[in-house]
Amino acid sequence: MNTSPGKYRKFLTAYLMPQWQLALLLGTLLFTTIGLELFSPRILARFIDDAREGVAIEILKNSAFLYIGIALVRQVVSVAARYLSERVGWAATNALREDLTLHCLRLDMSFHNQNTPGQLIERIDGDVANLANFFSDFVFRIVGSLILLFGVLGLLYWEDWHIGAALTVYAIIGMACLFKMRSIAVPQWKAARQASSDLFGFLEEQLSGTEDLRSSGATGYALQQFYKHAGNRLKQERIAGLKSIWLRNTNAFVNVLGYIISLISCFYLFNDGAITIGKIYLVIAYTGMLSGPLRRLTRQMEDLQKASASLSRIEELQLLATRVHDGPGYPLPSGPIAIEFRELTFGYKEDEPVLHDLSFRLESGRILGLLGRTGSGKTTVARLLFRLYDPQSGAIHIGGTDIRQAKIAALRDQVGMVTQSVQLFRATIRDNLTFFNPEVADDHILHVIEDIGLLPWYEQQPQGLDTQLQSGGQGLSAGQAQLLTFVRVFLKAPGLVVLDEATSRLDPATEGMIERAIDKLLARCTAIIIAHRLATVRRADDILILDEGRVHEHGPRRDLEKDPNSRFSELLRTGLTEVLS
Amino acid sequence: MKTYEVIWNAIRVQPWNWFFNLVGITVLYLSFQIPALVLREFFNLITGDAEVDFDFWTLVAFMAASALVRIGGELGIVLTNVPMMYNIAAWLQKNMFNRILHRPGAAALPNSSGEAISRFRGDPEQVYIFPLWINDVIGSVVYSSIALVIMLGIAPKITLVACIPVVFVVLLTTAMTRHISHYRRLSREATGAVTGFIGETFGAVQGIKVANAEKTILGRFRTLNHERSQTALKDHLFDELREAVYSNAVALGTGIILIMAATAIREERFTIGDFALFVYYLEFLTEMTWMLGYIIAKYEQTGISVDRMVTLLQGGSPRQLIERGPIYLAGQLPEIPYIAKGREHHLEELRVTGLTHQFADSTHGIQDVDFAFERGTFNVVTGRIGSGKTTLLRTLQGLLTPQSGTIHWNEKIVDDPASFFVPPRSAYTSQIPWLFSAPLRENLLMGMPESETDLEAAIHAAVLEKDLVDFDDGLDTLVGPKGVRLSGGQIQRTAAARMFVRDPELYIFDDLSSALDVDTEKTLWERLFAQRQATCLVVSHRRPALRRADQIVVLKDGRIEDRGSLDELLERCEEMQRLWKGDWGDETSDAE
Repeated sequence: MNTSPGKYRKFLTAYLMPQWQLALLLGTLLFTTIGLELFSPRILARFIDDAREGVAIEILKNSAFLYIGIALVRQVVSVAARYLSERVGWAATNALREDLTLHCLRLDMSFHNQNTPGQLIERIDGDVANLANFFSDFVFRIVGSLILLFGVLGLLYWEDWHIGAALTVYAIIGMACLFKMRSIAVPQWKAARQASSDLFGFLEEQLSGTEDLRSSGATGYALQQFYKHAGNRLKQERIAGLKSIWLRNTNAFVNVLGYIISLISCFYLFNDGAITIGKIYLVIAYTGMLSGPLRRLTRQMEDLQKASASLSRIEELQLLATRVHDGPGYPLPSGPIAIEFRELTFGYKEDEPVLHDLSFRLESGRILGLLGRTGSGKTTVARLLFRLYDPQSGAIHIGGTDIRQAKIAALRDQVGMVTQSVQLFRATIRDNLTFFNPEVADDHILHVIEDIGLLPWYEQQPQGLDTQLQSGGQGLSAGQAQLLTFVRVFLKAPGLVVLDEATSRLDPATEGMIERAIDKLLARCTAIIIAHRLATVRRADDILILDEGRVHEHGPRRDLEKDPNSRFSELLRTGLTEVLS
Repeated sequence: MKTYEVIWNAIRVQPWNWFFNLVGITVLYLSFQIPALVLREFFNLITGDAEVDFDFWTLVAFMAASALVRIGGELGIVLTNVPMMYNIAAWLQKNMFNRILHRPGAAALPNSSGEAISRFRGDPEQVYIFPLWINDVIGSVVYSSIALVIMLGIAPKITLVACIPVVFVVLLTTAMTRHISHYRRLSREATGAVTGFIGETFGAVQGIKVANAEKTILGRFRTLNHERSQTALKDHLFDELREAVYSNAVALGTGIILIMAATAIREERFTIGDFALFVYYLEFLTEMTWMLGYIIAKYEQTGISVDRMVTLLQGGSPRQLIERGPIYLAGQLPEIPYIAKGREHHLEELRVTGLTHQFADSTHGIQDVDFAFERGTFNVVTGRIGSGKTTLLRTLQGLLTPQSGTIHWNEKIVDDPASFFVPPRSAYTSQIPWLFSAPLRENLLMGMPESETDLEAAIHAAVLEKDLVDFDDGLDTLVGPKGVRLSGGQIQRTAAARMFVRDPELYIFDDLSSALDVDTEKTLWERLFAQRQATCLVVSHRRPALRRADQIVVLKDGRIEDRGSLDELLERCEEMQRLWKGDWGDETSDAE
């Protein structure tokens, strides 16, 4: 397990540097408390010697008040420091959460096809939460503890070099032991994190699928799977916990060893008359303080182990690169655009092409009906247009530009898609339509809603655009949810629209209602209508029939209809015969 | 339900581990007595202020022994706390999960699944940590009692005065707990909003990519994150303040000892050894009182977590959260109950009268729906979007709770549709079937014994056999989250195969054909009828289904507009005519 300091430094500079002023203030406060901490026992030592020598009672009382005063100041400073450190921690972890979310959003679909949303919750939120401590306290605690350590040792040298030397040796042994233990349980903690991620990923998935679990009578099965995941988590946590016991044991030995060394040193020095009782008190108090930073360092090491496990999981995630790289930014034409597939071959796995050597051209402003059986590669064509994937060979050109030469963002602004499945957020209608973009004006949204004839539906919404939708679109029928995606695309006004089985969930009456809207939409752009039903493509200018990833037939719809030998006209016959039978 | 009942039952999940944990913590605390007493004797030895029974090396040996005692205590803690914590967590999670699984399936969660995860993750943590806190407090109280007795024996007056700030701490922190719960609640809610949003975001990742909306989604995420950190900071500030008050109590106490000891030391009534011991003890005494305050605060926070978990039970008795029962975290997993089809499952006739389900926050739903059908018939529910078709299927099966109405299965009234309409009586394919990220085989079986069913026949019936040949690993192919590695049609046919595997008396399909091409749909219906005497209830507006129907139920605005055979309805029902015409438009008339 790589726990090199470089890794930590990278994260710390990335997420602490932006708030360096706060961090600096935090550092100052923490070092002030350390200074005061070092000073307090000296007052007690002085007090003891004074008391034994019979100094005036007022002087003794002054020492006592000084002690109380310093302690109060220390507290105020340390509350401020802790509040500040938490703020720094939150800011850093939230920034990391945001970076990870954006990173994951940009990762290829193949990544999302393997990771459930629940697992990602655990990776983005769970793993990062484990780092809060690392960002806010870690550096200051470690540096602070080290300063305290050196401060104490220095002061001990000042009191008596024998004691200073003895306790220096002790501190070195202690540090060496603890340092050796520091990464003993990292792989185990990592496994434990994975187990927890699996458990919550599993739960999220099951909780989303309750309808299917219930109606399949599979609740007993779901519970059994839960036990399996929860049991694995217990097992991994147990292994990790047992491993880290070495750290605690070392800690106990180191602590006691310190007391023994200082007792023996003081005993001999006192017998030689080289040291006063007050000084002995001071030495013992400092020895106790030495175990403080050592203990804190250990605790930090333990936290660090957990943090390291999370850190390396985060790093793994960050290292995942998309295979779809952003282009240099060749401009794309606006308005209706022409599309060309050039000898394109693509498979989700390299050696299993879904599309074979696919070539076709769609002139600007025309509508292509893309037909084919389930699994013939229709949806894959759409995915490639958005560069959700890149082809293994061949290319797609839009308005004469290879889409890999354009910026991905520019491409996706130019292309709109309405799909069969719709995911809605637990948010207002407005936010669901604009994807939380506050810059889209209400007027514009309402204009679009009116334009596509959704006004009657809109007027039923109790709070208009502010109406809250439930997660997953509960309360909306699947068909209504699909209408919302039409609005989404209209808001974008793209030059190319892909309708992937967009109306398959609509009943004929509603479908009729948005016919006009679709006409309007398609009048402004080039379009690909993906369908397995012939009725859906009746407005197409061209027809392309895919069969197992190859062009089976391609041509103007009217021509194909007239040609009795074409597959299309055969489909029309069988399709309709089936209906009329 | 009181919070203490939850905690008490949590302890009962693993009582022995709890007990040994208590022993471990107490031993650990006692190990800290040894250095204190050794130091006192050491000072007394070298100053000669008081009689000492031991020589110097014996004291050193005692000191060394304290490390061994401490390690013993630590071992006891480590061995017991992990099993205890994760068993308690699993116990609460299981009870919540179990309840959710028995809720009406279409409205099982109050919120998004991501938000629910925050209640499965963070809230049980609050509960499982509490028994450990109790042990900590007990250990600390044992330690402090011993310390107090020793201190009173040495100098009663100094002891009592030094403890005044300590008592003050207890009173103050108790008063502060009132404020804690409010911010804690806000902070937990804000966390739920964040996890819920992450879940929704990655559930909709393709849509977000395609819409080029990564940036604006991130903007929203940032807002939620900010709200969460603000509430968490407020929540924790109280913890910090409490801690500060505690530390000040130590300082004040030590100061008081100093002032009072000044004269006593000079008069040699109070040795330096006593002084060292008092300062050492005072820290622990205050820690104990701090812990008392802390545990009171934790109790409040735990109460909030309990509330949040109870909310997830949605109307179920809060007692269900703490229901005792086996949790299988190690060893043999429990057998999955399997019910073979028997005579009691046989369907002759299904009759629905006055079925009603209105959604609380909208005008949607179904009202007063009546219909009936017999064994071996094909029944189609049709209507526009939002007319209540899906709601009808869900309410019938108890996936939504009926507000009124009765359902007769043969002549018997169905009391609890939710537990009644499951295989082998009925099976259901929803409009957007949910597959789980597991191998295909597991998605089909979902715990059914493979020996009780004919997988191959089910796959054939669902027209999935050709796809299966293309899958790399056949039935062991991983389908990915939500089945994303399959096409839309494959997902629907997999869900159909999942029904066939169960060989139910009644097949309920919600718009099965929306992702299927004409040929495939046709084949599927043909195979369904060729192979078995199936009874079907189907939502569809496709002509192949409507033509096949023995009965069509037309829904409009949640009510039955009409029902009958296709010909009858085309004759007399305007809504049916509209639905029929809309489908094929001009082209149909061309062809006709």
